[in-house]
Amino acid sequence: MSSPAALLQSDTLGSRLTSRGDLTSFFMQLTAEIGADSYMLVAIVHDQDRNDARIVSSNWIFDAIELIGKRLIAGLAQGALTVAPGIRPHPLVASRAPETDGLITGEEARLLDVLGHAEIYSLRLNVGRQRLFALFSAATAGSIDQPALMRAQLKCCYALSHIPQLIAAAAMQDPLSDRERECLFWVSEGKTTDEVAVILGVSSNTVNSYITHAIQKFAASNRAMAIATAIRSGII
Amino acid sequence: MKHADIKETAEALFNEQRNPFGAFTLGSETHHAVTIPDAVRRCRWIAVDMNASAFGLFFVSPSPERARLVPCFDSDYPGIAVATKFISGANGEEIVRHTRLSTEPRWWTDDGVAAMAELFGNLAWTEQMAALVPGTSGIAFPVHADRGQCGLVVFLGSEMTLQQDALYEIHARCFSLFAAVARIRPGDTGRMRAISKRELECLKLTANGNTSEEIARLLKLSVHTANQYLTQSTQKLNAVNRNQAVAKALRLGLIE
Repeated sequence: MSSPAALLQSDTLGSRLTSRGDLTSFFMQLTAEIGADSYMLVAIVHDQDRNDARIVSSNWIFDAIELIGKRLIAGLAQGALTVAPGIRPHPLVASRAPETDGLITGEEARLLDVLGHAEIYSLRLNVGRQRLFALFSAATAGSIDQPALMRAQLKCCYALSHIPQLIAAAAMQDPLSDRERECLFWVSEGKTTDEVAVILGVSSNTVNSYITHAIQKFAASNRAMAIATAIRSGII
Repeated sequence: MKHADIKETAEALFNEQRNPFGAFTLGSETHHAVTIPDAVRRCRWIAVDMNASAFGLFFVSPSPERARLVPCFDSDYPGIAVATKFISGANGEEIVRHTRLSTEPRWWTDDGVAAMAELFGNLAWTEQMAALVPGTSGIAFPVHADRGQCGLVVFLGSEMTLQQDALYEIHARCFSLFAAVARIRPGDTGRMRAISKRELECLKLTANGNTSEEIARLLKLSVHTANQYLTQSTQKLNAVNRNQAVAKALRLGLIE
């Protein structure tokens, strides 16, 4: 799965993914299958009030990503455009963008159009508890087949389910250990340190240390923020 | 209700709304508010489309400790089917762990019908698991809603039909059904008093890691007032402390 030729030839739709190469190959095939030109797999990382996009896989040209900026990509991936599986998606059509809920400005829309993203669909992907986002775009508006896109959304969820470590590493999501997650869950249910200690059958010092670790991993300033971060990224 | 009756009733109802993959019908199935009987009806349509004789929708309990499936409704609604008792009992533990990590459907065959094993065996992206209900065949679809709720939609039967493309469509419809059910599920929202804009602002800042002092400075309030807002919102959310209030507000979608 190393050479570009191998990427193009292999038939990975429906088979297990094991490597990054498989992931790229899977998305390239899927993109062609639905009539799109570009794809981008994005994880959203919450940082205080802002959302940042972490790009896991993409065939967008480097300059397009730089020019458009990760903030706008995060906005596209998480905006009103984005649909959960089972809901009919609506595209962002760059030529009509200023009417699209102020998601992007006219200038940004022109930029997208020029860069070959005349229409963009944004899909939410659920991989177990993790949430990722897929942007599919085409250089000509109307060339993406909607029913095929809706099926593709599920295919993406299935495919990504096979490579949780790869996704987690790429997205830097869910860095918590099971114990840390359990502690954080019980704190989010309003339990005190002592109560959590009783529930989990460990000492309260241990509970505090789990929670401290969780706070540090999230770079949060306190428990409330750690809980908020965990809930926002679907960990608890 | 017998299987034939179910099919007849469902088909008689109408064909317009039931399949989001049909032309122009998607919005109607996904966005209108539903009640549990509506959801049961929608689930029955899905069951009819794959010729399943029974179905059930379950929530995965949020506690990481106890891997449990909490039944919401099944094909015997308003009663409870025997199959549901099996699934929500010890048989469900493995599938709960699976649901938290993966979105792939899982199937089982334990009814001795060779056609079912062949049918499921031909489906890509699915895998076999231990029977959820002894003596039956079935398929379980993991589903996830907006606020991090997990669930499972299960179909049982010995004469099911399911093609690869239909698998994606059925699963997609399970997703939108679950999203609707997760919204109407009786919870804390029903008896909750309205939370003021100011209280929500304070909660949001707390979720972003600010202390009462910082909130007071940011919103140009006194520390007492900021604390007062937080206490009020905690009470209104029926939470025992701020941490739980923040968690509940996020899960209910009151703050982002």
